[in-house]
This record gives sequence, C-alpha cells and structure tokens, in this order.
Amino acid sequence: MTTRVQAVHQFVPTFEPGAVGGHALQVQRLFQDRGLQSEIYAEHLRMPGAVRGRRFTDYRGRRGQKGREVLLYHMAVGSTVADFVESRPEPLVVDHHNITPPSFFARWQPELVHGVSWGQDQLLRLGRRAALGAADSAFNQAELDAAGYRRSAVAPLLVDVGSFDAAADEDMVARLLDEKAEGSVTWLFVGRVTPNKCQHDVLKAFALYRRLYDPGARLHLVGGCSSRAYWSALEGYVAALGLLDAVHLTGPVPAGGLAAHYRAADVFVCLSEHEGFCIPLLEAWAHALPVVAYSAAAVPETVAGAGLLLEGKEPAVVAAAVHRVTHDRELRRGLVAAGSRRLADFALDRTRARFLRSLEDGLELPLGA
Amino acid sequence: MSAEPLEQPGPEIDLDRVRAEIDQEVRRKRASGELPADLERELDLVFARFAPVDAVLGDFDSVMARVDELTQIDLVAPLDTTNPAVAFVKRAIRKTIRWYLRWVASQVSGLGHALGKAVRLLADRVGALEQAVPPPGGTVAREARLAGGEPDLSEWESLLVALLNDAPGRVVHAEAGHGTLVARLLARGVDAYGVEPVEALAQRADEEGIEVRLDPVAAHLRALTDGVLGGLVLSGCVDRLPPGSLVELAELAAAKLARGGRLVVIGTNPSVWGRERDPIGADLAGGRPIHAQTWRHLLEARGFSDLKVAEAQASEVRLSPVPGSDAGANVINANLERLNELLFPPRAFAVTGVR
Repeated sequence: MTTRVQAVHQFVPTFEPGAVGGHALQVQRLFQDRGLQSEIYAEHLRMPGAVRGRRFTDYRGRRGQKGREVLLYHMAVGSTVADFVESRPEPLVVDHHNITPPSFFARWQPELVHGVSWGQDQLLRLGRRAALGAADSAFNQAELDAAGYRRSAVAPLLVDVGSFDAAADEDMVARLLDEKAEGSVTWLFVGRVTPNKCQHDVLKAFALYRRLYDPGARLHLVGGCSSRAYWSALEGYVAALGLLDAVHLTGPVPAGGLAAHYRAADVFVCLSEHEGFCIPLLEAWAHALPVVAYSAAAVPETVAGAGLLLEGKEPAVVAAAVHRVTHDRELRRGLVAAGSRRLADFALDRTRARFLRSLEDGLELPLGA
Repeated sequence: MSAEPLEQPGPEIDLDRVRAEIDQEVRRKRASGELPADLERELDLVFARFAPVDAVLGDFDSVMARVDELTQIDLVAPLDTTNPAVAFVKRAIRKTIRWYLRWVASQVSGLGHALGKAVRLLADRVGALEQAVPPPGGTVAREARLAGGEPDLSEWESLLVALLNDAPGRVVHAEAGHGTLVARLLARGVDAYGVEPVEALAQRADEEGIEVRLDPVAAHLRALTDGVLGGLVLSGCVDRLPPGSLVELAELAAAKLARGGRLVVIGTNPSVWGRERDPIGADLAGGRPIHAQTWRHLLEARGFSDLKVAEAQASEVRLSPVPGSDAGANVINANLERLNELLFPPRAFAVTGVR
C-alpha cells in the first residue's frame, strides 16, 4: 500500500524576497492547492508583509507517522538548517539552487569563503541522506550527481513570470528615458554585485562600446551589494574610465524600479561566470529585451537559443555583439520573439506541473490530490 | 530604440552566422586600427588598480601582513540592531561572555601566529631553493630571455599562414618579442596578437601599434576562457622552460584552443641549442629545448590530431669535401658527410597539430 503524504514542509536558511524565497512561496502554494499542509521554516525570517514563515527549531514532525511528511530543503549556502534537516527522520528532498564556488570570493571577500565551503560540504552530506536531489537546471543536477545523490531530477524554479511587468514605476521610466541621448543605447544587467556576476567585464565591454560605436550609451547595473570590496572596485573603475555620467550602479531597487529599468533598456548583457539558473534572463524576455550573454554555467541552458551567446568575453566582441543586436532590426526582432517563446516555457502552469512530476517520479509517491 | 511588441513573430535566426560576422567585424576593426592594439589590455590594467584584495594576494609580504591582521580577534561584537531592547540584551551577553571569548580568542590568535611563522619559515626555504634552482619566471630567466633577443621566424611564415588563416578564433603568438611575427600574420589576414613577458619588448611592440600583451605565457593562457583560441604559436619560451612547465604549456594549449584550433610549436633542435647562437640564454635558462618527437608525444597524449613535424633548412655551414675521386678521398668525404649531419643538423623544427 502506498503511503499517503499529508504534508511537504520546506526549509530554507533565510526566508526573504528573492529567487529562493519566491520559489519557496510558489512551492507552498502548489502543495496547498493539492490539499497538502505546507509550511516554510527558516533560521532567518525576513519576508515582509503578511507572508509568514516559522523558525526551523519549531518544527516537531509527527511521531509514528513515517512517510506522511516530506521535508524539502532549499540549498544555496551553508546553514545550521541543513544540519537540522539532516538529523530528521522524514524523507528529504534537497532542492539545489547552486552554491557559488568559494574561488570567486577568495580574492575579494575571504570572509564569505567559509559560508559557501560549508554549503558545499553540507550538499555532499545531505546526498547520503536525501531521497531525491532536485535541481533548477541540468547544470545544477550534474552537481548533485557528482555529489553522489542516488536520485536526481530537474525540477524547475517556480517564478511568476506574469508578474514581471506588473508595476513599473512610470515616473522612473520617464526619468530614465529622459536621461537617454537621442538614438543611443542603454545596456542593462540585473544581479547582485558580486565577483561571480562579473559586472567589471560588462564595464570593460561598455567602455569599449562607447568608444567604438556609441559615445552616448548608458549602462545600468541593477542589484544590491554582496561584496563591499567588489562594489568599491567597480565604483573606482567607473570613475577611472570617465564613465560617471554614463554608468549607474543602482543598488537594490523595488519591484517597480526594476521593471522601470527593464522598460528603459535596449539590451540585457550578462557576462556572469556562475549562475545556477539566472532569473533576470526571464525578466529581460518579459520586457522584450534582446539578450547578449556569456555562455557559462547554467546560462546556455536557460537561454536555449533565445539570446546571443558568446563563447568568450573579449570586450571588443561583446561590444560588437551588442551593437549588432541593437541595430540589426531583423536580428533584434528574432531574439525578442525567441525570448518570448522561451519565456512561455517558464509559465507557472507549466513549471508547476513539471516540478510536481519531478518530485513525484523521484520519490515514487503521489503528492496530494 | 524602443521595445517591440511580443506578439510580432521573429524570423528564424542563424546565430552561428551572426557570431561569425561579429568576429569578422572585430577583426576588421583591429586590422584597420579603429580598435587600438592595446585598448583591451589597458582596460584590464585600469581595473587591476581597483582590485585591492587581488593585488594583495599577488604579493607574499602583503598576504602575510593580512594574515597577521586577521589573527587579531576582535572581541567587541557589533550590536547591529535598531531595537534598543535587543541592543541591551546583546550588550549584556557580550559583557557576560567576554572572559570566555578572550580565552578562546587567545588560542585562535596563537594558532594564527604559529601558522604564520610556519609559512614564513617555508618561504625562506623556498627562497633558498629558488636561489639554487632559478624558477621559470625569475630574474635569471628574464636575463636568459633578453639574451635571446628577437628570433628570426620568417622561414616559418608560409607554413603558419597556411595553417592559421582559417583558424576558428584569434591566434596568440607567445613569446612574441616586439611583435614581428604578429605583424606579419596580421598583414596576411590572420587575426593574431602576441604575448611577451619582457616589458621592454612588449613596450616596443606597443609603440609600433602591434598588439603584444605584457604577460608571462602560462599565466596569460591560464587566464583565458577554455576553448577561446583559434590558434596558438609557441616559440622562444619552449626553448628555455623546464620540462614541467613545457607539459603545462601542452595542457594549456589543449584546454584553451577551440575544437579545430591549430597549435604550432617552433622549437630549437636540442643538439644545436646554444652552439650557434644565444650561448648566454642557453647557459642561464632554467630548462632546455626538447625534441620534436617529445612534443609530438605530449600533444598526442592530450588529444591533438594531424600532428606533423617540419624541419628548418639545414645550416649552410658545412665541412667541405676534399677534391679527388680516389678511394682515399671517397672514404674521407663519406666521413665528412656523416660529420656534417652530426654537427650541422637543421637548427629548428615546427610541430603542428589540430585540437
């Protein structure tokens, strides 16, 4: 007789707005829609408004009801929450969102190395305990397989792609468009300011682009700071290149401001060297932006032909690529259309079904109605 | 520039063709001088000025100073809250456990100092070792490089152009000296740049508008993305590096060349090395040239195919035959011919291969 699962509870180091927090909320909704109990437990609870999570130490489980509850742990960094779920008897699914390799931090922020190394160690240890390793991408799945997970599956990130353009700050859109020189191009990259995202490479290519193609071009680097040293280096670099009037490091922006930046941009340029999935690509497609991206980590898998992928990051090649996609109307139209088609693959109704199927197949258990 | 509606169907796009056209455009800009030879390197150098931690990691003394700094444990934890009640509690905890933290911190600091001392002792021993056996990138190696000057590679030009003119990406020549070969390759349509570890030579190339980046060869290759190069020409350094470094170069070539990328190793014949020219370089070098067969073996083991060895023209300096056709003269001339082969073999070789 098959055990009937009554609850899937999620555990996350920090429950906060962002890719993992948003995904956890969508997963909770999915399981609740299927009649299952689903709570989100975390060490740090930072989700604003009415969204509630619980302290992970409050989780008790149900005695004597083996298999009735499944735990889903979201892995992205080292945390005591991982040690906690490892010690629990319930079936465990590890949802791997990728851990940035320590080498990216060793040069810039050695104090962060411990957290990610700890996470890597926990990923290995949980592999001995987990019934299933779920991954946002085949790139992440390969890491689970390498870590020795007995079963692994790609279970897509649940993102409400319909909400991306919901609330653009129109005043900001107007201001950004007003700042733009006639006929000039605005570059955009969205992501935390951290060494693996390589915003400095975007700056190099942008500086060269202004010199070769478009002296009036602008660049917006949108995202909060995850590495103070790297942020300072970017600020110094911008000043030394004489680009203070052309480059804007925004820091964190609210949803309306983010949508405004997408609306005001002409091209999304991603030269990141390590991404487990890269949600901003989806946001760019939702705003009909052509994408130029460096082909690294999970980026080629997410792009899947819906952007101009580059094998290298030579500034001259990136600059020429941006010039081409912003000035070749046919190419631009083709990339925007391809982006729109690719975005449809991540519509919630599709990803919810794929996510559920991956977990049910992997666990060999039905999850709710 | 405005966003177009999503519902407009896009034409099928051949992104491979677009990428190839972009590469061609960049080549054109380089060839025309519109993209100055060293602009990209300049951008790298400017960024390096703002990478303080990176800079620290590049220098042993700075790193050790940072280690010393980090071994001092700060016992005063930040209160880090806007809530006065929480701040009060945190302050109370900090005060209460200070004796305990001090005890732990003194042990951690002691461990840090001991490890720092151990690393310094190790550094002293490495320093002594480097005095006895000069490392590939050290001062002695630099003197060896400078003594060699700019080698004449003109006899390989046709072979290189035939092999590299349809290379699937940019071509690197290392060591490039002041860029003579790079300039010739560019003139014949090969999109090439050079790498040279000696500043004076790279500087001269820069003055002549030839893109030669100032970098140690292996360090430059290590920093490149895998599979990014269309071609790699190794010369000069392959005559002076120790075997371990040569094996690393073979591995880097295999990693950094794109599929179908071309490799050319131009080496000096070990049996003439240091004899006809550059005795100073030969004496001071940390390594010596290896045979073409050895290169072939190393490259084959690392996945290169279509491996061929071409030899340079034999030296024109030869022992002259004795006149006459009697038996005695014939014996002497046959012996002289054998001596010629032993004493004056081809001075150099080129091993070519495809990734």
